[in-house]
Amino acid sequence: MPGYEFPPASYELSSSLISKYLKAVDSPEEIKTLGEFVPPLAIAAYAMTAMAGSLSLPPGAIHASQELDFFKLLPIGATIDCQTKVARKLTRGRLRMLVLELNVFDQSKERVQSGKATIMLPA
Amino acid sequence: MLAEIRKGKTIPPVIKHINQEKINLYAEASGDFNPIHVNESFAAQTPLGGTIAHGMLILAYVSELMTLAFGQSWLSGGKLSIRFKAPARPGDIVTATGKIDSIEDKNGISYANCSLECHNQRDGAIVIGEASVKLAGKEENGSE
Repeated sequence: MPGYEFPPASYELSSSLISKYLKAVDSPEEIKTLGEFVPPLAIAAYAMTAMAGSLSLPPGAIHASQELDFFKLLPIGATIDCQTKVARKLTRGRLRMLVLELNVFDQSKERVQSGKATIMLPA
Repeated sequence: MLAEIRKGKTIPPVIKHINQEKINLYAEASGDFNPIHVNESFAAQTPLGGTIAHGMLILAYVSELMTLAFGQSWLSGGKLSIRFKAPARPGDIVTATGKIDSIEDKNGISYANCSLECHNQRDGAIVIGEASVKLAGKEENGSE
């Protein structure tokens, strides 16, 4: 229901995790040489995965839209805390959608990233 | 990085080939094993008719475009709002493009506002949206 907050999830953005991510997104050398920082989309991806895990989204759910704000660079090896809540539930005809808000903080409680994802649920 | 940041400037495109192997690799890296991405027999029975790439994989290409253009300004001061218009499928060639629509000054800080699009080889839009980047300093952006 709207306002429901999921249990927070933590991720360590280890070097091996980020290497795997950079390989998966086919990152060019210019990006890799930006060095010791975690790509913001990697942070968003792990926050989204944490959220999907908490939600037990049905198979076939798809991403309809995404908003993201990046506030802070994080070094590889940092740990993030992800907080997610249900902002809205929408029904349009046979379509059902969930709007989720997510906030990511570092270990000093500074906001790293925030976002809003709209997920379309299968009929 | 862009040599010149000004209104109307086109951002060099990023082009990626999608295949099932890349989708599977992304599923492993992100932990998102939704069967619509990785299970071909499941996906074939849905209205989508087959597997599709993760939306966040396509967004990673958009972020690559912005990182190559704006460097750390994007990584720590970027803002993105997009809609997924159609899925990217194995076999697609995805081209992410962008353009600087305006340079805006807010409270003494300059922002580059950009329009973004990803399309496939049939010119079908996959992603459309906007992004803004907080620029490091007014003197660096060549604002008009």
